[in-house]
Amino acid sequence: MNILASYEWIREYLKIDADARAFANEMSTKSMSVEHIDDVAARFAHIVVGEVLEVLPHPNADKLRIAVTDVGTAVNAGGESVEIVCGGVNLAAGQRVVVALPGARVRWHGEGDLITLGPAKIRGVESCGMICAPEEIGFEKAPCPPGGIWDVTDLIDAPAGTPFADAFGLHETVFDLEVTTNRPDAMSIVGLAREAAAAVGGEFVAPNPPAIVAGSGIDLKVSVENTELCPRYMAVALDGVKVGPSPAWLQKKILLSGHRPINNIVDITNLILHEYGQPMHAFDYDTLEGGEIVVREAKEGEAFVALDGNTYKLEASHLVIADSAKPVAVAGVMGGLGSGVGEKTTRIVFEAANFNEVSVRKTARALNLYSDSQLLFEKGLSPQAPELALRRVVELALQVAGGRVASAVIDCEAESYKPLTFTFDADRARSMIGMHLETKQMLGYLETLGFTIAAIGGEIFSVTVPYWRDKDIEHDIDLVEEVARMYGYGNLPSHLPESAPPRKAIAHDLLIEDALKALFKSAGYTEFYSNSLVSEDQLKKFDLNPDQALQLHNALSSDMTHMRTSLIPSVLTGIEENQRRVESAKIFELSRVYTPRAGDLPTESTEIIVAQFGKVSARAAWLELKGVVEEIGRQYGAAFGFERLSGDEKWHNTRSASVALNGNRVGELGQLATRYQEAFGIESPVFLLQLRLTDFVDQLQLQRVYAPVSELQSITRDISVQLSRETPFAALEPAVKSASTLITQVALLDEYTGAPIPEGQKSVTLSLTIQPTESALTSEAIESILSTATKRLQTEFHATLR
Amino acid sequence: MKDELNQLTQSFKEAVKSVQNSDSLEALRVEFLGRKGRLAELMTGLKDLSVEAKKEVGQLANSVKQELETGFAELEGRVREAEGAMREAAEWIDISAPGTAPDIGHLHITTQAIAEIADIFKEIGFTRVRHPEVEWDWYAFEALNFPGTHPARDDWETFFIADGEKPMVGEKGRMLLTPHTSNGQVREMEKGEFPIRMLNIAKTYRRENDPRHIPMFHQFEGLYIHERASIVELKGVLDFFVKRFFGEDRVVRLRPHHFRFTEPSFEIDISAEHGRESSKMFKDGWHELGGAGMVHPNVIRAAGLDPEKYCGFAFGFGVERVMAMKSGINIDDLRIMYRNDLRFLKQF
Repeated sequence: MNILASYEWIREYLKIDADARAFANEMSTKSMSVEHIDDVAARFAHIVVGEVLEVLPHPNADKLRIAVTDVGTAVNAGGESVEIVCGGVNLAAGQRVVVALPGARVRWHGEGDLITLGPAKIRGVESCGMICAPEEIGFEKAPCPPGGIWDVTDLIDAPAGTPFADAFGLHETVFDLEVTTNRPDAMSIVGLAREAAAAVGGEFVAPNPPAIVAGSGIDLKVSVENTELCPRYMAVALDGVKVGPSPAWLQKKILLSGHRPINNIVDITNLILHEYGQPMHAFDYDTLEGGEIVVREAKEGEAFVALDGNTYKLEASHLVIADSAKPVAVAGVMGGLGSGVGEKTTRIVFEAANFNEVSVRKTARALNLYSDSQLLFEKGLSPQAPELALRRVVELALQVAGGRVASAVIDCEAESYKPLTFTFDADRARSMIGMHLETKQMLGYLETLGFTIAAIGGEIFSVTVPYWRDKDIEHDIDLVEEVARMYGYGNLPSHLPESAPPRKAIAHDLLIEDALKALFKSAGYTEFYSNSLVSEDQLKKFDLNPDQALQLHNALSSDMTHMRTSLIPSVLTGIEENQRRVESAKIFELSRVYTPRAGDLPTESTEIIVAQFGKVSARAAWLELKGVVEEIGRQYGAAFGFERLSGDEKWHNTRSASVALNGNRVGELGQLATRYQEAFGIESPVFLLQLRLTDFVDQLQLQRVYAPVSELQSITRDISVQLSRETPFAALEPAVKSASTLITQVALLDEYTGAPIPEGQKSVTLSLTIQPTESALTSEAIESILSTATKRLQTEFHATLR
Repeated sequence: MKDELNQLTQSFKEAVKSVQNSDSLEALRVEFLGRKGRLAELMTGLKDLSVEAKKEVGQLANSVKQELETGFAELEGRVREAEGAMREAAEWIDISAPGTAPDIGHLHITTQAIAEIADIFKEIGFTRVRHPEVEWDWYAFEALNFPGTHPARDDWETFFIADGEKPMVGEKGRMLLTPHTSNGQVREMEKGEFPIRMLNIAKTYRRENDPRHIPMFHQFEGLYIHERASIVELKGVLDFFVKRFFGEDRVVRLRPHHFRFTEPSFEIDISAEHGRESSKMFKDGWHELGGAGMVHPNVIRAAGLDPEKYCGFAFGFGVERVMAMKSGINIDDLRIMYRNDLRFLKQF
C-alpha cells in the first residue's frame, strides 16, 4: 500500500534539516521505500493566478469564448490584460482562475502526456496560454463541474499574476512511499515522522491535541453489541457546525494527499486518516433515528445504500453502525448516503473506532466495496488509536466549522488495554545481525521508535510495545529486526558462510531430467512448456476422466480447472495452435503430471512426450522417435523392448508399439489414433513417444563401456531382397547374423513397397558390416559370407534376390 | 643433330606461345617431352654417334631437355593458375544468401534459466531439491507462521483443490497449489539432515492472470539452516549469486520488508545495469529482485526443531523475473511464456 506524504507535513512532527532526497534515501533503506519524489512547485512553472475581467464571444466557435484576463505583470510588464481562448462551461467574469502561460507544462483535458504550452491560435484567435481545469495541472480531485475550469475565487486571494505555487502554497515535496502491509501505523504522516526520527534523525514531536471538554444539549447514546468485532467505539457530538468548503490550506493538504475535497467536516476526517492513520467518520446527528448509534451485526439480507450511491445486500456476518432503525454505515468500510454530512447539517457525530481487521476485510471483499478506511482497518489498527484521533477531529472541527461540543465523550471499550511485552536479548541480536553493535545503541533505536525498556539482567531486557505497533510486533525476534534495520542493512558487511557446505549430491531424477532435456535438444527437438492447469474439455478430448484429476475449488477461468494427469492434451493443444505457423516440427515436453490419491497429496510424477507433426514421413518420424528411445537406452544402459500395440484405441492400430524396460511397460510410441487427432483439430498425423520417466528413472545409470576398436578395416556390403511385407526386421537380423560371427552389424538401409513390387511384398536392402578379427579377408571369403547370408534369407523367408 | 636440338628449343618456345589451356598443354607435353615426343625421337639418334660426338651432343641434349622441362613446368604453373582462377570465377556463391539454420532443438527459456541458477548455487554448496507442487496448507502457510486469517489463505489469492463442492481438507489443512516455493522450508528441515543448504526450484501458482502475472510461474528458494546464521552471511550468499548471475558490477541492497515466515525480512534490490535505464522495472536505479529474510523461530519450531539450537536464512525469487532482468528481454505479456508458440520457443 502506498501513501503520498508531504515532507513539509511530516516536518510538523519532526524537527529535521535533511534535504528531501537524503531523507528519501535513508527512509528507503531503513524504513519505508520512497518510490517517487514529487517536487510539487516545479510542476507549476509559468502557471499563475488570473482574474477574468471580461468574457467575450469567440468569433469562429460557439463553444469557445475569449477571456480577457488580468495576469498582473506575468506577461506584460505594464500589467495589460491578456486574451485567452477558453471552453470552460463555468467561465465567468470576476472569477479567479489558474492560468497556464506559454512555457507551462499541462496535461490536455487531463489525458495523455504532459505537453509544453506555446503561443497558439485557436480557431483564428491568439490565445495567451490557457485557463486550466484541475485535471490539467494534476489536481484531478479538486471540485469542478464537468467541462469546467478550476474556479479558485474562494481558495486564493493573492493578486493576479502571482505564481500559482506561491498563491496555493505548493512549495512542498511529496513522497510516494510504499508501506508494508504489517505497518498501517506508518501509513500516516505521524507514523512516518516517528520512523524517520529513528531512521534519519531529528526530534519527533508527538501529536497532542487538546482534551475534549464535554458539552451538553445532545444525549448521544452508543451501544456496541459485538465487542469482538468492535473492540472500541468512541464518539462525540457537536452542535452549531457550519458545513461548507474547506479553507485553502486544508484543501491543499487533502489534494496533495490524493484525497478529494468534499466539505470541511469530511475533509478533516480524511485529513486525520492521513495524518494519524486512524479512519474517522462523521454522521449527521439529525438523520440518526432515535438519536442513537448501535454497533451490531447486519440482519441477513438487510439493504444498505452506501455513499457511492449503490445499494448493498448485507449478510449477518457484516458489522454495521446503525441507528435505532437501519444501518447508517458498514463498519470500517463506508458510510451511508442518507446519514452523511451535507450543507444543511448543523449537528454532527464524530466516530473514532476500532474494528476487527478480518471482519472488515471479509466484508469489503464480499460486498466488493473498498475505501481508504477499509484499507487501513483490514491491516489491523490498535484499539488505543481512536482517542487521540477524536481529540484531533474536535480541535479541527471547531477551527474550520465552528460550533461547540454538545455531548459527553462516549467511549465503549471492550476491555482495558494491556500493552504487549517481549524480551530483547542483545547477544542474540548481535549473533543474528552478524556484527557487534553496542547494547546502548540498539536500545536507543527501540526507544526512538516508541518502545519502553526495562532491564532484566545482563544483556536481557524487557521491552514494552507502543500501542501503534500492537498488531505487528508479535515475537522477541521482531525486536531484532527493528534494531537491525535502524542500524542499516547497507552498513553491514557481506561474507559467505564460513561453515563447511554439506556433502549432498543432487537427486538422481533431477539429474536425469536435465540430461534428457539436453539429449532431446541435441536431437533437434524444441521444448514445449505448458501450464499444469488444463481445462475439463482438454481432458475429455483425450478421453481422460476429469473425475480422476485434481479439480480446482476456486478456478480463475474455465480453461484452467484441472491439474493434468497426462502431458498429451497440453501437447496436442500446442500442436494444433502451431500447425499453421510451421510446416512441420519436432517438439518435446518433460514435466510433471498429478495423479490423485485418496486422502493424500497426489502422486507427482514426470512424463516425457517427444513428438513430430506436420509434413513428416510416417516411417521416418516413427524410426526417429524409436531412435530417441534407443539412444536413451545406449547412454543409460537400458535395453528398451518394443511390442506391437494393437487394439489400443489411443493409438494407430498398425503403427504403434509399447515401450518396456525390464519387463515393465514404461511408455508408448506411435501414431496418435485419428479420432484424437481430429478431436484436437490437428490436420496431419501426429507421432508421439510417451515415457513415464518416474517409473524407470532409477534404472537409468550413465554407462561408459569401452569396446576395443579393431586395427583391421571393416567391410560393408549390401544385400537387396524381396520378401513378404510383414516380415519383421527383428527376424531378418538374427538370420543374417547367423551366417558368420564376423557380421557385427545389420542395418536396414531401405525398405520399399509399391510398384513394381507385387502386392504383399516388399523390397529390403540390408547393409552388413563385416569386421575381420585375425587378418584381412580375401574377396572369396567375403563373397562366401554374403552368399551364406543370402541363402539364409531365401530358405527362412522365401526371399528372392533383387 | 646439334642444329636439330637447337631448332627443337626454338620450336618449343614458339609452341609455348599458343598454349591456352590444359588440353593444349598436354598436347605440348606429348609433342616435345612425351615418351615418343620430339626430344625422345632425337635422343634415339644419339646411339648412332661416335663416342666423342655422343659426349658433346649428349651434353647439349641434356641441357635442351632441362630447358624444355623447366619451360614446361613454368608454363604448366601459369596455365593451372589461370584455369583455377577461371574455375573459381565460375563457382561464384552469393554470400548474402541467408544461412541454412542447423536443425537443432531449443530448450525453453525457463529451463535454461533454472539450469543457470542451479549451477551458480551449486558452487556454494546449495543443492537442488524437489518438493510437492500440490501441497497441504500446513507446509504452504500454517507452518510458515501465517495466521489463519491471512489474506493469502483466502480463496482469491491461492488455488485450492476441490472435494466436490467443498475444498479438499486433510489432516494438514486444505490441499492447494503452492503459491511459493517456501513450502520446501519445513519439508527440508523435516528430513533431519543438517546443516541445510537447499535450493528448491519449482512451479508455483497464484490466482491471477494478466500481462504481468501468470497463474503458473517459477520460483527458486534458498534455505540455509545451521547452528548459527546471520544477516551478514545472507548478504554474502546474495552477493555471490547476483554478481555471478548479473555481473561483477552489480550491487545488492537489502530493504526492510515484511514476510510472515522471516524476521527480519528484506526486499532485495540490485543496482540497474548501466545504460538500461529505460527499462520499465527501473526504479530510481534499482531493480526489485525478490524477498529474503532470517527464518522465523516459529517456522523452525513448526519443523520440529528447537529455535534455540537452529537458525538460518531463506530467500525466494521468481525465475521468470530474474531471467527477464538479466537478459533485458522485454516480454510485454508474460502469458506467452507457457503457450508453446514455436515462434517464441525457437528464439532462445
